[in-house]
Amino acid sequence: MRWFIRRLGFYVFAIWVAITLNFLLPRLMPGDPLGGLMQRLTPSQIQGNPGIINTFKIMLGGTHEPMWKAYPIYLRNIFTGNLGISTSNYPSHVSDVIGRTLPYSIFLVGVGFILAFILGIAVGMVAAWRRGGIVDNFVMPSLLALAAFPAFFTSLVLVYFLGLKLGWFPLQHAYDTGVTPGFNWAFLSSAFRHAELPIIVIVLVFAGGWALNMRTIMINTIEEDYVGMAKAKGLHDRRVMTRYAARNAILPPLNGFAAQFATAVGGLVFIEFVFSYPGAGWTLQQAALGADYPLTQGLLLVFAVCVIVANFIMDLLNFVLDPRVRTA
Amino acid sequence: MTGVLEGGVGSPSAVGQETLVELRELVVDYVLGGRHIRAVDHVNLSIGSGEIVGLAGESGCGKSTIANAVMQLLRPPAQVTSGQVLFRGQDLTKLSTEEVRQFRWQNVSMVFQSAMNSLNPLMRVGDQFVDMMKAHRKISKSDALARAATLMELVGMDRSHVRSYPHELSGGMRQRTVVAMALALGPELMIMDEPTTALDVVVQREILQRVQDLQQDLGFAVLFITHDLSLLVEFSNRIAIMYAGEIVEAAPSDELFRRPLHPYTVGLMSSFPSLSGPLERMAGITGSPPDLGNPPSGCRFHTRCSHCDPAGRALYARQTTERPVLREVEPGHFVACHLLDTP
Amino acid sequence: MGGPDRERAGRRRLRLPGWLKLLLGNPKSRGGIIVLSGIIVVAVIAPWIAHANPNDFSLIDSRQSPSFHHLFGTTDQGSDIFSQVVWGARSSLIIGAAAALLATVLATTLGILAAYSGGVVDDIINLITSVFLVIPTIPLLIVVSSYLHSRSGVTMVLILGLTLWGFEARILRGQALALRNRDFILSAKVAGEGTWRIIFSEFVPNMISRIAAAFVLVFYIAILTDAGLEFLGLGDMNHASWGVTMYWAQVNSSFLQGEWWPFLFPGMALALTVAALVFILAGVDEVSNPRLRKDRKRGVIRSLFVGGRGARVALDAKDPA
Repeated sequence: MRWFIRRLGFYVFAIWVAITLNFLLPRLMPGDPLGGLMQRLTPSQIQGNPGIINTFKIMLGGTHEPMWKAYPIYLRNIFTGNLGISTSNYPSHVSDVIGRTLPYSIFLVGVGFILAFILGIAVGMVAAWRRGGIVDNFVMPSLLALAAFPAFFTSLVLVYFLGLKLGWFPLQHAYDTGVTPGFNWAFLSSAFRHAELPIIVIVLVFAGGWALNMRTIMINTIEEDYVGMAKAKGLHDRRVMTRYAARNAILPPLNGFAAQFATAVGGLVFIEFVFSYPGAGWTLQQAALGADYPLTQGLLLVFAVCVIVANFIMDLLNFVLDPRVRTA
Repeated sequence: MTGVLEGGVGSPSAVGQETLVELRELVVDYVLGGRHIRAVDHVNLSIGSGEIVGLAGESGCGKSTIANAVMQLLRPPAQVTSGQVLFRGQDLTKLSTEEVRQFRWQNVSMVFQSAMNSLNPLMRVGDQFVDMMKAHRKISKSDALARAATLMELVGMDRSHVRSYPHELSGGMRQRTVVAMALALGPELMIMDEPTTALDVVVQREILQRVQDLQQDLGFAVLFITHDLSLLVEFSNRIAIMYAGEIVEAAPSDELFRRPLHPYTVGLMSSFPSLSGPLERMAGITGSPPDLGNPPSGCRFHTRCSHCDPAGRALYARQTTERPVLREVEPGHFVACHLLDTP
Repeated sequence: MGGPDRERAGRRRLRLPGWLKLLLGNPKSRGGIIVLSGIIVVAVIAPWIAHANPNDFSLIDSRQSPSFHHLFGTTDQGSDIFSQVVWGARSSLIIGAAAALLATVLATTLGILAAYSGGVVDDIINLITSVFLVIPTIPLLIVVSSYLHSRSGVTMVLILGLTLWGFEARILRGQALALRNRDFILSAKVAGEGTWRIIFSEFVPNMISRIAAAFVLVFYIAILTDAGLEFLGLGDMNHASWGVTMYWAQVNSSFLQGEWWPFLFPGMALALTVAALVFILAGVDEVSNPRLRKDRKRGVIRSLFVGGRGARVALDAKDPA
């Protein structure tokens, strides 16, 4: 129980750091933060977005005021969900933009990474159990080689061959033009189609890492006495592999999953960029290029919170799966 | 304890006993890189049903390898280079995977060296009984758990511990649990590999006493492996002494205690102080165990033997070049030593 | 061997440092080292092998597929991609190495300090590390980069180095913890050596292999991240580099028009470099943990029978004389 509170406390602290970091970053620019930001904007942007100065005021919590006064205002804004108005999507609120795009990313990540994890762990488990077998000698190195390639490169290769040349998959965006988003079949099936290739990319890029990790740990776990005992008890080979070896071996990678999640989010940005898939990652990149600071900040915060939440879920999972943690 | 049995090492057991396990000229090598390390060198050993056989020797002499060989648990880089492991006359190495799987635990079970680590830390103790029972016979989970609870009581533990996780039990309790597990399927032979090394003396005693009582009631055979000769003398019917992968002496236990013949055995006997006897100067054995990858020539013990003296001329020549053969110097008492060979 | 003999012997043979011998012995790291050396050589001789200035553009030559004159084809602006890739090697390697150096120094110092000092210092450093680990690096770098007025190589090295030190700090701390109670540390402490001196002259030499591994790891991550940022348009866009080439290609929809060369060549170069480093890392891992090594004498087929089932009787029973 105590451990629980400690973890929770840490996560709250981390969120606070993320929020504060958001606050500090624009102010690390020399000179007046608002002035510094205004310098990045083009005249057309200012003309097209009359409320832009106001937006930045909200974002910065007041312009010419000293930091210690602006900070509480900023905090209050955050907690009331007021993340400012997106300059590139004027007059939409940042929260609206995020609300529109985040679900797509979550879908991609949810399906993709979990599939990658399952595939990777399974391959790693079998590769370690049957050293020198087919999985160990062929499947593992292939996955590893794939993982060595940068995510966006693999995406491009797949887009080129499977999308462009073979026409098997749609190449861009989240759904076909002409389809209206909503809970209708046309949209959902189209969205699904468009997500297939990005998901395949995610699986291929990330499964290798999991497989290697699992294999290494599994190899060590196999040497453990309780695995030897399980074999000695005359249990079926498969049961020893799963219930005794893998079940124990999976705990470190599971913890690693949480740590990897931050990397995963990074990879997501690239994949979305290549596919012009309008998720939160693609939006972040576009916003960064277009100097849409309210949006970038809002997205950074959201990303950080997502990673933190994922970590927390993993901690809970660990708690459930490992009785030793419970007693500690 | 049952009386002295006459099962000779290397020969079929005497009248009234059937041979359960027989090792014939067993050779086990560890292949590391290009080197062959011979852990078990032409060992002959037989265990009769209901017999308690002790196997003693220093660390690294090959005792655990023998235990693993009987259970068919040897893994690379270990390999059985030649020889046979017979159970009731049947060559175990010729069995199919499924037959070996069924054989394990049902006919021969094992109590591992570190009970602490023998139990899966993520499973409740009772569940570890259940999966073992279900692997060998059709039994429902609740029946299996009930039987597990009974077994726990048999070894002196509270029934409720069936629901415990291994880390919630003390060292002694875990050891008892593992013993209970080893008896679950009523095996004919139970191998105990250094079962009490990690425990304090009092707990050691209790557990061994318990095992002894159970052995008398249930009549299973025991292969007791340890470096602690004093335990064996009390506990077993017959003792075999191993050195550098070979058996150098074997005899009924009280005979061995009274008249140890091999210099190594003599050294071992004098290495254990008696808790109750008078204070004595300990002799010990000089030197250290040989490198099995490059063992001494001739008699492997000659480098540490106080009876090996270059002045001995002919004898010395034999000691350094010729491997001594295990011979029956007295009924039931086997020794491999040049000192006792009259050419 | 006497004096003059020894000298002669030393001059005759090439003396490789022990660690290099070890790494060259392992096939994985050997392959990685060879490939990496190749790439370094290419980067060094760039001025001689790249005939064109990578930043030149000529509209006549634009969007050409690979030919003899332009080995890797041209961009939409007519720049020679081969030159860009070759010069880009310099940029990636230098920025990657510099950022890795910065991150490794940070990770080593903070990690060991945390392990050695324990207590409050440890808690604080752990807290900082944990927070850094939990905030996703790519989005952070994207946002930081978007704020920067100028994105020069130096700036990139700084922001990369300051964000990528976290995970290695944790690992190095773990290793340092194992060393903390060893005798040589305790005796140095008792002898009155200062904290920093102990960290750098006692801990570091004993952890050098792990620190080197950390460096290699951060090296390839830095290269990837740097190229990645450039690919997104948020890095130093004014010089020849792999990421920049691919950025322009993506933005100009070259890909969708079937022009694969602006992607393939820089991408392959990047992938090759990263793969080389990954293999070096894998080799280092195997060398330090023998259990991971496969016994190369056993064939694949034999392993299929023996592996995973526990050893059974050897298929050949030769007496090992």
